[in-house]
Amino acid sequence: MPDVIAMGGLSTSLLIGVQALEVSQGALNATSNNIANANTAGYTREVPAISENAESVSGGVVTGGGVTLTGLQSVRDELLNLQIQQQTSSQSQADTTSTALSQVQTYFSTSGTDIETAFANFSSSLAALSSNPSSSSQQAGVISNGKNLAQAFNNTANGLTNVQSAMDEQVTQTVSQINTLSKQIAQLNSQLSQLTAAGQSGGTVEDQRDQLVQNLSQLTGISVTQSSNGEVITTGNGTPLVMGSQSFTLQTTTGSDGMQQVLDSSGNNVTSSIQGGTLGASITVRDQTIPSYLSQLNTLATQFASAFNAAQAKGYDSNGNTGQAFFSVPSSGTGAAAGLAVAITDPSQIAISSDGSAGSNGNVANLSAALTAALPSGKSPAQSFSDLVYQVGNDASNANTQSSAIAANLLQLTNQQSSVSGVSIDEETTNLIRYQTAYEAAARIVSTIQALSTVTLDMGASQSY
Amino acid sequence: MRVNPNMVPNMLADLAQSQSALNTALQEVATGKSVSQPSDNPSASADMVQNSIETANVDQYTQNTSSALSMVQTADSSLSSVVTSLTQAISLGTEASNGTINASNLQAIATQVQGILSSVVSQANTDYEGVYLFGGTASTTAPYTASSSSASGYTYNGNNNSNSVAIGDDQSVQVNLPGSQVFSNSTTDVLGSLSSLVSAIQSGSSSAIESATSSVSAALSYVDQQRVVYGNAETQLNSQETYLQNETVNLTSQQTSLIGIDEATAAETLSADETANSAALAAAAKVLPTTLLNYLSTPQ
Repeated sequence: MPDVIAMGGLSTSLLIGVQALEVSQGALNATSNNIANANTAGYTREVPAISENAESVSGGVVTGGGVTLTGLQSVRDELLNLQIQQQTSSQSQADTTSTALSQVQTYFSTSGTDIETAFANFSSSLAALSSNPSSSSQQAGVISNGKNLAQAFNNTANGLTNVQSAMDEQVTQTVSQINTLSKQIAQLNSQLSQLTAAGQSGGTVEDQRDQLVQNLSQLTGISVTQSSNGEVITTGNGTPLVMGSQSFTLQTTTGSDGMQQVLDSSGNNVTSSIQGGTLGASITVRDQTIPSYLSQLNTLATQFASAFNAAQAKGYDSNGNTGQAFFSVPSSGTGAAAGLAVAITDPSQIAISSDGSAGSNGNVANLSAALTAALPSGKSPAQSFSDLVYQVGNDASNANTQSSAIAANLLQLTNQQSSVSGVSIDEETTNLIRYQTAYEAAARIVSTIQALSTVTLDMGASQSY
Repeated sequence: MRVNPNMVPNMLADLAQSQSALNTALQEVATGKSVSQPSDNPSASADMVQNSIETANVDQYTQNTSSALSMVQTADSSLSSVVTSLTQAISLGTEASNGTINASNLQAIATQVQGILSSVVSQANTDYEGVYLFGGTASTTAPYTASSSSASGYTYNGNNNSNSVAIGDDQSVQVNLPGSQVFSNSTTDVLGSLSSLVSAIQSGSSSAIESATSSVSAALSYVDQQRVVYGNAETQLNSQETYLQNETVNLTSQQTSLIGIDEATAAETLSADETANSAALAAAAKVLPTTLLNYLSTPQ
């Protein structure tokens, strides 16, 4: 029955033509969506998943079954995404550290009001006393340079404390950003599991979630794992942030040192274990780096002040009295640099004389020696300060180097990710042409079948005469 | 492998890198410094702390050296005048002691010697910028003032100590001799011997004049010996001045090598960085706008 096969073939062909039209349209949709999102952050290109339909066998003759668009697939590399998240954490950690330390190091640069310059001026004004011990202008110079030195210590200590407070502020802000992101990610996880349950592709939701997870990794080091309930995100040390559709809130509370402490959702203090990202860097700079600088500065201020005061006590002032303390320094030790001040106001109170007579300069040598002799720390004031400058400079330089190294690494990873997931305008343009041609051809099939059907119908009509 | 279609991040990274290199090069040329903050070179910044304190000290030591030199020279020239005066007193004493001079002339000579005494006292009260040079460390008051109770007619207000001026980190030079040592010590008393010469001449006794004259001449040779202290100080100060000049040069060159730039190299780097930056910009301008669309005819 050859004509029956022919009639069935014609409608099958029509069906196949319509399927081809639908598939081409779907593919054009995907292409236009890719082009539309070419510059959308976190967008992963989608490719149409097209599959051939099952063949049909009729009377020993095999015919093709047409085509189906099974869906749109996002092209992503999960392993690459994980690496990018890790590097993003390290990058933002290095950047935060570098920014904080570049603020810190301005207090250790030669500016004219820094400790280095103040030490130099104080030292040279003391040497000037040696050649003219009874000159009131030279004496006043020592007092004012002493005040500048104390001021330089105060400014540096306050500058360090300010950076520390800024870091503390950042801890609170970052924790609140982390909580917002955790909540959003949990919501997206829940949406995604619903879509998956319904058998739908959740490419867009996944893109959004990946983007949020990457934002989260900027804030703190995280570890991402997949479970049956969806994505599980914890901080590097295991404090849970997101478990599938559930999010856990971090809290902050003022600690005994006045700094904000980070608590996990059950109220345990996890501050010291947080690493990576803005939060990790802020906590490290706030709790370790700056306190270490401050303690060295305080030790220097305390020991230098007491060495100079001891030298002052060895001599006599212009009125023949035993020299009294030149510097006053808070006895507590912490806050020594911030509280260092010149205790005497009258230039005649400088203990220049070694024998009590007003014109003697015998004690100047002791005063000058206080600046060059080793302090109880084993180093002279200049050496101690120069060590500190080295440390600050080295830390800042390391943070900068690390930041640019990670930036290069991250760029490479992003390039790799982009080579997998990025939208290529050239490729999409080519696809546009392909799918356009396919659509035109499919339309031609439909119109051809229509023409053939008309011929067949007309044929039937002529037979009825 | 699929080629990364997105060139923007790479281009931006390249542009940022060449821009930052250009900024650094520009800053170095503009400031003449290769280190403007500690992180640029931590160890050079640390060394600069010592360098700038040392530089300030060397500047001050140089000033101290030149003012100490003036002090020492002033004191030395005072002593030289004293020597001249004493020589004059000795010849007057010798003249008075030969027994042929009449009483009124002796009185005239005595007046002359008295004048010499007051000129020696005024030399002993020499000051340099308000600092009395022969008062020991009591340099704020005149060392000798007239006093009727003292045998020589003058009393010493100073003390027996001396000041030393710092001219190096561990170096100082003694800049004064106390008057009690130079002019009025118990064995060779310049002022006392002149004063006894005056009384001897007034008394007219040849033997007394002779003995007084010989005391004056002993005082003269003693004062002459004391000038050696100043001569030595002057030598030491002159050589220290040279040393400090060299030290200034050393510190400046150390500073240049720590944080300075080599201008030729810096200018060359700047121009190389400029070229690199323009090349990166030109490449970006050429590559970024191009897609397949540029080559397809617009659909009719």
